[in-house]
Amino acid sequence: MMETEPTEDIDQPLRDRLKAHPGPALLWGAVLCVLLLLEGPTYLDGLLGAIGYGLALLPGSPGAEAFASASAFFGELPHLLSRELIPNRGYYDGSAWQGTFLGLEPKYAWLIRFLLVYAYVAVLLGWLWYGYVLFRRHYRAADWTPTDDVIDRLRSHYWGLFGLAVVVFFITMAAFAPVIGPTTAEENIEGPYSYDMQYYNEDTETVENITIGEANLGSASRGSGDSNVGIWSYDDFGRFHPVGTLVSGKDLFTFLAFGARVSLFIGLGSMAIAGVIATTLALVTAYYKGVADLIVVLTSDSVQAMPALLLVILATVVFKNHWIAELYNGAMLFILLFALIRWPGLWRAVRGPALQVGEQEWVDAAKSYGQRPTVIMRKHMAPYILGYLLVYASLTLGGVIISVSALSFIGLGITAPTPEWGRAINIGQQYVASQSWHISLIPGLLITLVVTGFNALSDGIRDAIDPQSEGAEGGAAGAAAGGGGG
Amino acid sequence: MPGTAADTATEGTQMSESVVDTVSHQTGETLLDVQDLKTYYEDGGLLGGDPVKAVDGVSFEISRGETFGLVGESGCGKTTLGRTLIQLETATSGTVSFDGTDITELSGGDLKEWRRNAQMVFQDPESSLNDRMTVGEIIREPLDVHEQGTARERREKVRTLLDQVGLMPEHYYRYPHQFSGGQRQRIGIARALALEPEFVVLDEPVSALDVSVQAQILNLLEELQEEFGLTYLFIAHDLSVVRHICDRVGVMYLGNLMEVGPTEQLFQRPENPYTRALLSAIPEPDPTVQVDRITLPGSPPSPRDPPEGCPFATRCPVRIRPEDIDASDAVWDRIREFRDVIRERSRAEQSIGERLKERLGFDTALADSEEIVDEEFSDVDLPRDVREHVEQAATYLSDGDPDAARAYLREVFGGQCDTETPQYYDVDDGRMSFCHRHAQEHVSPGDELRRRGYDTHDG
Repeated sequence: MMETEPTEDIDQPLRDRLKAHPGPALLWGAVLCVLLLLEGPTYLDGLLGAIGYGLALLPGSPGAEAFASASAFFGELPHLLSRELIPNRGYYDGSAWQGTFLGLEPKYAWLIRFLLVYAYVAVLLGWLWYGYVLFRRHYRAADWTPTDDVIDRLRSHYWGLFGLAVVVFFITMAAFAPVIGPTTAEENIEGPYSYDMQYYNEDTETVENITIGEANLGSASRGSGDSNVGIWSYDDFGRFHPVGTLVSGKDLFTFLAFGARVSLFIGLGSMAIAGVIATTLALVTAYYKGVADLIVVLTSDSVQAMPALLLVILATVVFKNHWIAELYNGAMLFILLFALIRWPGLWRAVRGPALQVGEQEWVDAAKSYGQRPTVIMRKHMAPYILGYLLVYASLTLGGVIISVSALSFIGLGITAPTPEWGRAINIGQQYVASQSWHISLIPGLLITLVVTGFNALSDGIRDAIDPQSEGAEGGAAGAAAGGGGG
Repeated sequence: MPGTAADTATEGTQMSESVVDTVSHQTGETLLDVQDLKTYYEDGGLLGGDPVKAVDGVSFEISRGETFGLVGESGCGKTTLGRTLIQLETATSGTVSFDGTDITELSGGDLKEWRRNAQMVFQDPESSLNDRMTVGEIIREPLDVHEQGTARERREKVRTLLDQVGLMPEHYYRYPHQFSGGQRQRIGIARALALEPEFVVLDEPVSALDVSVQAQILNLLEELQEEFGLTYLFIAHDLSVVRHICDRVGVMYLGNLMEVGPTEQLFQRPENPYTRALLSAIPEPDPTVQVDRITLPGSPPSPRDPPEGCPFATRCPVRIRPEDIDASDAVWDRIREFRDVIRERSRAEQSIGERLKERLGFDTALADSEEIVDEEFSDVDLPRDVREHVEQAATYLSDGDPDAARAYLREVFGGQCDTETPQYYDVDDGRMSFCHRHAQEHVSPGDELRRRGYDTHDG
């Protein structure tokens, strides 16, 4: 597999290696460009939109408008995974479906788009993996690195791979929420009375206009009698609902896809902040020890001594009318709250490994030739604790998703109309025993699946970075299994 | 793994045969002058407490180009001393002048600049290399830190170094995992030499290696010393290695240098009682030779609470006894053991419960003080005055005051060794020993040992 290289070339940096043998890299890069271009407008739309949203928060909103309009411009451009290319909404005029993709039933049109999204993601990830393999084969100077072993172990860890698949499924759902659902949140959930739709009235045998809000009234799932649109069914207006509708008649699948966005945003955001705090403190305390350590121990103990749920409830009430609670319907507030509450757990988890690696002689060696403390921490200590951090963060992330859902369930979480899984469970709980059972059950199952997926992934990572921990109780990473879930 | 063969290829694994003869490179010019150096480890606890006196007043000089050996049992402070010399630990007091500069005063940019003059090779090749970096990155890091030359020149330099320590240039992109212990130590040596230092601290560089590999690493170190004109501080507990490689040796015990002198003289005619005990522990290759080793009683005292007077006093086989007490050697042995026990007692931390009881006026007496006395002295005849002293001490003990017992015993049974810190006596050409017995008024350690029935090297 490894190409034999002449000895004098052994010292080349990566750039020279690429120049010497550009074929595979060029081909790979070209295909990657095509893959990205297929969905380029979406990425630019999302990126510029996010920047514009961020700028709008600043005093005076400098340049926010420009970004918003640029974002809108790219949003209009045609791309592969779009409703315009594969529309699933139309009406049946008595003989054929009008307005749908190739005149197919809305069901199949939606299914094609749905599958295409996952196929695209699968191809993209596969291509990135192939790029890594190419790099290993042609361009990497070392024929073996310690990371290779970790990756190989993860590749044969089926429980971990299952977790990875679930996480990818979930992330894709969140990322492509606007195209993956049979309708959009804006039309169906946020402003149903601002949008019209056409449907075929069988009584009058004409195509009629109706606002989506009115149509939703006719597609509600309320448990009794005719008032139910269940899994994999059409409503009276020719709209397809893959997992049925809510009590309000809104599409549950669309609700779930956008709900995934919120959950993921809060989970990843809070874990990113908590992870940065935990890593920084673990490195600093392990390097300097003494008073620095004592201060952080006391601080983290104090934070952990607070009743977390009560604190969050209190904060949601206190910040109710504060501008920070306006951001993404309160999601930003939750990110900050969960980061504040969860960093001590992460810090404790990585403190042990950090102290261990801080005692290694290579740290002394680096000190002895005058390496700066920040570089020592980053280069000689951080790589050894990031694996553990990943394990604990993905475990804790599941806990955060559950907590957010729980808060929404009791009516304190993300405010309506922004979709949140916990609220769907809450809305549907009185219909659990009726034919409208899907309202509570589907989001509940999804939460279980996602949290299990994150836990499985963290199991896989743990076993990959520390093979001795596999199946064994105790040990630094062995304890990781019991840590999360929240 | 490629390259492993290099370590095992050399036939003739007997170190004594394959190690090249030590050539003295001394120029006589002092490179490192250590004066009364002390390194204490504070507990860091809020309540203070006794610091660990790892290095407790050490003075010596190292000449440019020489190999200075530092021997002693585990925990005697030799590694701490080595680490203090390259400023990995901060000295509590004393000076270390390197080429005339007191490096304990350096900080910030000056210290960083000075660091290129002194490097260290660590004991454990498994722990001294960062496994997540390639060999090239590891060796190049010191060069990067001190920004020597361009990136290409640094890479070139690393390749030269790899060659100089007996590795291959193509090992640049390998990871430490792919190397054997001996090869890893070569990488560590290359890293230490990257900045072309004048002074290298070798902290037991071969003790973690196979004997066959040890010889190769020692040879390599000697060749490199020759090539780069290096000055070594060689820390070891393997005395035969020290005898081979070192020009001068310092013997350490409990943070103090007991004896310093040229290697051969020190090994052939040790003067200090501790050096004698240490050297008598070297295994004799001839099984027919009967050696009566000087086995030291007890264990080294805690470096938090070293003995007043001579640090070796608690275990010394030739401790000076007070003249006013006349007792047999056997009785003195028991007294020493008894004092050890009391010493342990006074060191033992009281638990919170015990302190509370004491405060509340409960009896915290050590119920077993009678037993201790019985155990120690039941089978020897104690002279009357000795018995009285012992009983007095036992009374203090049963009153719950082991400190008083300890002080009392020290007063009545302690000789000069217990009360006065010895000075360094010039015992030989360029050799100094830290022992009261070299003073005019005392019998020399060697004579006293023979009188007390030990075999000695020079007797």
